[in-house]
Amino acid sequence: MNADRVITLMGKELRELRASPTQLAPVVLLIVVCTVLPFLIVVVLPWSTGKTLTSDQAFRQVLTIARSQTPALAALPLEAAAEVFLFQQFLLLYLIAPIIGAVSLAAYAVVGEKQGRTLEPLLTTPLSTPEILVAKVLASFLPSLVIEGLGLCLYVTMIALLASPGVLWSLATPRSLLLVAVLGPFASLAGLQATIAVSSRVTDPRSAQQVAVLVIVPLVLMLAGQIAGAFFITTTLLLLLSLAMVTAWIVLIFLSVALFERETILTRWT
Amino acid sequence: MISASQITRRFGERLAVDNLTFTVQGGEILGLLGPNGAGKTTTLRMLGGLIAPTAGTVAIDGRPFTRAGAGALRARIGFLTETPGLWDNLTVDDNLRVYARLFGVARPDLAAERVLRLFELWDRRSDRAALLSKGMKQKLALARALVHEPEVILLDEPTANLDPKTSRAVRDLLLDLRRQGRAIVISTHNLGEVERLADRVGLMSTSLIALGKPAALRREVFGRRLRVRLAGAFPPAAQLAAAAARAGGHDLKIDGLDLSMVLEDPDAATPGVVRALVDAGGRSVRSSTNSRRWRTST
Repeated sequence: MNADRVITLMGKELRELRASPTQLAPVVLLIVVCTVLPFLIVVVLPWSTGKTLTSDQAFRQVLTIARSQTPALAALPLEAAAEVFLFQQFLLLYLIAPIIGAVSLAAYAVVGEKQGRTLEPLLTTPLSTPEILVAKVLASFLPSLVIEGLGLCLYVTMIALLASPGVLWSLATPRSLLLVAVLGPFASLAGLQATIAVSSRVTDPRSAQQVAVLVIVPLVLMLAGQIAGAFFITTTLLLLLSLAMVTAWIVLIFLSVALFERETILTRWT
Repeated sequence: MISASQITRRFGERLAVDNLTFTVQGGEILGLLGPNGAGKTTTLRMLGGLIAPTAGTVAIDGRPFTRAGAGALRARIGFLTETPGLWDNLTVDDNLRVYARLFGVARPDLAAERVLRLFELWDRRSDRAALLSKGMKQKLALARALVHEPEVILLDEPTANLDPKTSRAVRDLLLDLRRQGRAIVISTHNLGEVERLADRVGLMSTSLIALGKPAALRREVFGRRLRVRLAGAFPPAAQLAAAAARAGGHDLKIDGLDLSMVLEDPDAATPGVVRALVDAGGRSVRSSTNSRRWRTST
């Protein structure tokens, strides 16, 4: 794989994005929601209703399970532990938001070139299929990653300012790091690679988007399951999930290369 | 330089290109001439390594296209595709620089400037490609095909959408590239264009009907002989010859009920000749020229 060609194609994708920045609106909007929503629940809701977080019976049960699995939570006062638990749950949203946002970019990546009739000239260059696909994935991934990073900075700052004392440091665990720095990015890459694979097989970006958005279903189930107390995502489980995502990404690279049939794309344009 | 050896391409049951063999040397222009659907674009795509022949091989300097070596061979080719396929949101300059980098040009900025000036697009370099006229887009696509100074140049309808002045400039440029030793293949359905440009012309209709020098090909395939079959009473030959001569025909030949004669412009002169023959007492049943028959048969 020629890095110069990958970077060149990525640069072209990013320049096109800069010319049409509204394409990033979905991911920006989602990150804003992911950042603000936890504070509405953890800070604004108790303040406006006069009830504490742990006054809810069902939530207390979930919290009890979580405290039994996590010594750091058990060491905190009950209300602070509730805040840490909820802020951690909402970190999971940061896995999903960039995928949803970037999927629309990735879905357009190949089928958009097909529709714009720009793919054939591109295929006349020495670019190989893996180079095209990796460049397209990274160009969809990087803007989302930057926006996600900015959102996380804001999230951490707001926790430092608005949460109970000790909550911020309790969140700074290997588990959180694994979640946002490893599982999140690799889940995004796997999702985007799947989207690109679909994008090279369809003739309409909307089809690619609809199929690709299914990628987030397992992550949503994971989030819902943990909030409902069905299971608790431990550090070990996160590690295993991260490994699964890395493997999935690599498998999907090979799969998308196999699915990207230059001849079919060129000769079955409509 | 670039050779096609017995290349055939099928799309399912449909035969798009059948058993083509030719070689284009450096410093030569080959024109592929034929109507829409004759297989010209498919042939160019096979020459450019975009699609593989179902049978046969394409090679550059004896190196055939293989899966592993296709990228290196494509780097030696400049390909003007059927549609310009520009990135509308990028500037004119960026469209060229990206391609220069993808082709590994050492100084993409200088390469882009060279072709922008060559195609008189320098003043529009900062405009988005979407803002260009059709003709300018075609010029930019041509500039893009030449930005890496390729040894082999494949051009699909290079003067489509261009005004006469720019078409002439493009033709001059291609002749200049030929002088520089590039091997050039152009596809067109414009006979006049290939006559002005090409050293050899391949007449295509799925297979190669004829391949030769433009003048010889015109005589052979696009002959200017009009054939008329008469019915009914047959006027004296001298009377027919006189009528044909008045209408611009010469070299009259009579074979039973069939007459044939040479016309300078058969398409324009045929109605007048037929009318003159009818006025002379003949009753025309069917008339055809080689060029007309060619057109209707495809």
